[in-house]
Amino acid sequence: MKTLSITFDLSLIDHYTLVITVAGYCIVLFALALMAYFFTGLHTFQDFLANRRIAEHTESGKEEKPKVVMTGEENAAIAAALYLFFSELHDEEKYVMTIRKVSKTYSPWSSKIYGIWNSMKHS
Amino acid sequence: MDIIKALFSLWEDTGFHNANWGNLIMILVGIGLVFLAIRYSYKPLLLIPLGMGVILGNIPFLHEAAYHTGIYQEGSVLNYLFFGVLKGIYPALIFLGLGAMTDLSPLISNPKLMLLGAAAQVGIFATFLGAMVFGFPMAEAAAIAIIGGADGNTAIFLTSQLASGLHASGNGLDMQNLIGPIAIAAYIYMSLVPVIQPPIMKLLTTKKERLIRMKPPRTVSKFEKILFPLLGLLLSAFVAPASLPLLGMFFFGNILKESGLTKQLATTVSTILIDIVLVLIGLTVGASTQADVFLKWESILIFVLGAIAFMIATAGGVIFAKVMNIFLKKENRINPLVGASGVAAVPDSARIAHEMGLKEDPTNHLIGHAMAPNIAGLIGSAITAGLLLGFLL
Repeated sequence: MKTLSITFDLSLIDHYTLVITVAGYCIVLFALALMAYFFTGLHTFQDFLANRRIAEHTESGKEEKPKVVMTGEENAAIAAALYLFFSELHDEEKYVMTIRKVSKTYSPWSSKIYGIWNSMKHS
Repeated sequence: MDIIKALFSLWEDTGFHNANWGNLIMILVGIGLVFLAIRYSYKPLLLIPLGMGVILGNIPFLHEAAYHTGIYQEGSVLNYLFFGVLKGIYPALIFLGLGAMTDLSPLISNPKLMLLGAAAQVGIFATFLGAMVFGFPMAEAAAIAIIGGADGNTAIFLTSQLASGLHASGNGLDMQNLIGPIAIAAYIYMSLVPVIQPPIMKLLTTKKERLIRMKPPRTVSKFEKILFPLLGLLLSAFVAPASLPLLGMFFFGNILKESGLTKQLATTVSTILIDIVLVLIGLTVGASTQADVFLKWESILIFVLGAIAFMIATAGGVIFAKVMNIFLKKENRINPLVGASGVAAVPDSARIAHEMGLKEDPTNHLIGHAMAPNIAGLIGSAITAGLLLGFLL
């Protein structure tokens, strides 16, 4: 097996290497830019559809709802507030103890009065 | 006489008889990795299996013995486990788990940040040229360069295909087995993100730039979250089909999570499965660094080139963010610290950008923004690996 000899030779970069480098980088950039472009466009399109739906509702005499634009930060703040509120509910319970009276209805199915030993004594 | 012969044979079989300086040095390296992980909490989930693997792979043994112990000896247990590395199975399974645990919302809510992930790939291509200049054959140069992507799994995947010692280059040179040095370099640089990136980020940005507050990300609909992995899969598969084992698994894992109907599967692949694979990949990659394969001048050069690749990638992301700011409106400007997250060390480099932002302004939280280029970097480095495979195989 031939082993590698470490050198420093700029001429080792040939045309093919340069093509791989430049084309490769451009393709990665292009692929991700395409995805970015598509998703920016998709969001714009979704906004357009939502606005049109609102406009249609308004024209047909229905009550116009105000457009609510919420950022992720606002959502996170509301979610955190709700979480804290519900997680603390337990601590806010009333400290009132109630003793519920449990009433048992009588059932003769396991009654000792009708047991076999009692029956024998009576006979 | 037979007793003496038997005792001598036993002695010949022991590690004490077969040990050489190389083994001892590598065992010390293994102990060092375990020490780094335990003492400084540098990626313990990765470095502990890796360090133990290095120790395991360098226990001296008699190569001519009838039983097979070494990782490169056919039929040994370690050799069977190493199969997952050689054939790129483990990296693909890790990508599956990553997909199932990754929330792509930051990327979808601000798609232009994807460009930062692409920009950081400049580290890979610059180092590709650098490795060529130092005389590495093209396939090996590509495998070394991918360290700049800062993703150990992509590095292992590409190296297993290009420089696992099983292929020959066009000019007759046998490809060396570089899996060990490249994987160790990639993992070490991933764990050293908090040491390597901040000085570069600070050097390339002004205080005013570090204080930039970015527009809060918008809410992302479920439709968008489901559409992204489908589109991402199709696009990456069409642009670089060789990246399919990585990105196909990544987007598959993500759709398991986002569909909302396969929560059980998403939980399994993102917890139990990824943990099992992480143990196996760390152990076997560590064990593959047998002294005779690892202790070469080339390994040192690989470490140096890997560090340069990582630094160029970081700088590339930061500079690209600054260039983008020239064309963006004032309210849409990007904090250049976020650009450094374009390397694929998820989520460490995003965390570093966040922490550096907090140091300048304790109310400026960048983590939500930094995750976007971070994930884009992961996708970008996998596409790059696919492209390099396509060019070179």
